[in-house]
Amino acid sequence: MTWLLPLVAALPLLVAALLALVGKWLPHRAADVAALTVVAGSLVLALVVVARTANRLVLHWFGGWRPRAGDFPVGIAFAVDRVGAGFAALVLLLLFAALLYSWRYVEEEHYLYLVLMLAFGGAMVGFVLTGDLFNMFVFFELMSVAAFALTAYKVEEASPLQGAFNFAVSNTVGAFFVLFGIALLYGRTGSLNLAEIGVRLTNDGRHDGLVVAAFALLTCGFLVKAAMVPFHFWLADAHATAPAPVCVLFSGVMVELGIYAVARVYWTVFDGVLGEFQHPIRDVLLAVGCITAVLGAVMCGMQRHLKRLLAFSTIAHAGCFLIGIALLTPDALAGSALYVVAHAFAKGSLFLAGGILLVARDDIDELLLQGRGRGLHYAGAAWLLAALALASPPFLGTFTGHALLDDAASVEGYWWVPAVIAFATIGSTAAIVRSGARVFLGWGESDDPLLSEQPAESAAPGEQEASLALMQAVTIVLAVAGLAVGASTRLAARAVEAAHHFVSRADYARAVLDHQPLPPAPSATWHTTTLSVAWALVTLIGSFAVGFASLYRKRLPHAVTNALARALAPLRAVHSGHIGDYVAWLTFGTTVIGGLFALTIR
Amino acid sequence: MSVLPYLLASWLLVIGLYGIVSSRNLIHLTVCVSVCQSATYVLLLAIGYKEHGTAPVFADVPTSRRTVDPVVQSLTLTDIVVAVAVSALLLSLALKAHDHHGSLDPAEMADLQG
Repeated sequence: MTWLLPLVAALPLLVAALLALVGKWLPHRAADVAALTVVAGSLVLALVVVARTANRLVLHWFGGWRPRAGDFPVGIAFAVDRVGAGFAALVLLLLFAALLYSWRYVEEEHYLYLVLMLAFGGAMVGFVLTGDLFNMFVFFELMSVAAFALTAYKVEEASPLQGAFNFAVSNTVGAFFVLFGIALLYGRTGSLNLAEIGVRLTNDGRHDGLVVAAFALLTCGFLVKAAMVPFHFWLADAHATAPAPVCVLFSGVMVELGIYAVARVYWTVFDGVLGEFQHPIRDVLLAVGCITAVLGAVMCGMQRHLKRLLAFSTIAHAGCFLIGIALLTPDALAGSALYVVAHAFAKGSLFLAGGILLVARDDIDELLLQGRGRGLHYAGAAWLLAALALASPPFLGTFTGHALLDDAASVEGYWWVPAVIAFATIGSTAAIVRSGARVFLGWGESDDPLLSEQPAESAAPGEQEASLALMQAVTIVLAVAGLAVGASTRLAARAVEAAHHFVSRADYARAVLDHQPLPPAPSATWHTTTLSVAWALVTLIGSFAVGFASLYRKRLPHAVTNALARALAPLRAVHSGHIGDYVAWLTFGTTVIGGLFALTIR
Repeated sequence: MSVLPYLLASWLLVIGLYGIVSSRNLIHLTVCVSVCQSATYVLLLAIGYKEHGTAPVFADVPTSRRTVDPVVQSLTLTDIVVAVAVSALLLSLALKAHDHHGSLDPAEMADLQG
């Protein structure tokens, strides 16, 4: 049975290779059908794996290099728990939706687009399934290169080139940091298997400069992918310029994979040796998450380019996901996982609605589009539903994830964390509500002194004539899915159980290396607390109230808007679009985070 | 084991990053990325090095011979493959950018702001 496991990642990669060979001679529809079929097949396999990972780890040792219990693991293993399997299923689900949406999309060289999408998806799936650190790096690079190429798919336009270049250089430098960290760990332990490295580091017990440097480098490298401040600059550029269905994967899963990797590496490798330093690690990661959440929300409120606006909203939410990891408790981790799922559907739907605007109205600028979305009922409805899902209304959308996060933070004594999350939610969702009301309803003033200048970048990176009905259907379905996910309390309970397995380093190591079964997780039930419902009401009412109010920011006194604009100008200026600045920030951030770890872990 | 290779790896990384930050030419910038990447090759090979070790090929030497670590060498090879893909992509983007802007200066193509 376990031989099926690698197929989840391998099938899309194989078909990508095949299409690259013969796609030129295939009719478009045949290539589309092949891609959709293989993704659907992989998705079914992933769901089978999800079903089989209750209280066990599904393992596959490549080439039969399965070590005897207690032996040194020479081979490379896929080691899948429920969090990993669930993530793989989410990736494939979004990939399926994105491919369906891009039916008849990009007519010339259509098969190359499919090849890149399949390679991108297959690499992301491999990344979450693997139990080997270097294997993680390889899949990391594979998905990165596919993503760079997808960003620049419209090479005939100028902006996508710049977006892709910034994206490629930032992420490649991040990957170097990851590789440095891997090399250091290999030098210390002689192993690349996550479980074995964890065991050896724990038995060794030294938490000297090498271990701290490896931890800092791996964390920072993966946080570049996760678009944490100050590593986030590439994300807005890449999202503003990539085709809409590609953005669905970028925002919905790729960014979250960076956070997943931080969590996976911490809980399998460093939890033992750095376990006594949970407090400083938590404080540093929490600070990064909170700054990211707040900055993302503030930047979000100033955007008029809709895809860029959504990109900053993703940054704000990614900050919240990192907060869930930073608390280092299973409940918070489960909260982040659920939040990721609901966010992926809702944000995906928003990007697809943006794509529909590009196709049907040939523009993506909020002020230029005012009232021009009136005819697009389905896109408008999806926009509203997705905004509602992101506002975390009680018992819908991101609510379960949000509530688990708030409760976990309060239990740990971080009473202010729910306020930060609420600020990020309100700030980013209000901007989405504002732009939706302006575009699809035509409400509000025709100008806004706080929005950025009209972007110089080409407005519509050539989304093409496509079957609008199908696009709208996919968009609506994703929005509804985003809302519905939050309604399932059973899912919340399962997520808490899965998170308990995820955070147990010793159980993971025994399962991988000694073939021991996982001990059953404490069966979890999920209760809503008054506190979480109260915060949910705050974010719901806040998002819509602030959103509608900000349609009329022009009516504020000049003195106020001038002062605000002046205060925000430096923040705007930092997002310069210049790759040199971005890498300088990246180096600075890594130095600061690494320095803080070095100072506090001794 | 000498500390020199580790110093060299750090130096290559730092000088490469400095090059990326200060670069005024996309092709120069791509080369700087490669310089950073060579830091990882040096680090990996240094970690696997054994004093007086030979190449890990046992075709004509006894298996008891002291050899350097073959694992890091294969990691380095994989890393080089990755580097080729990234460099090729970056260079092709630089070419296309030159078509659009008539310049290779990253400051000239700063369309994306704020």
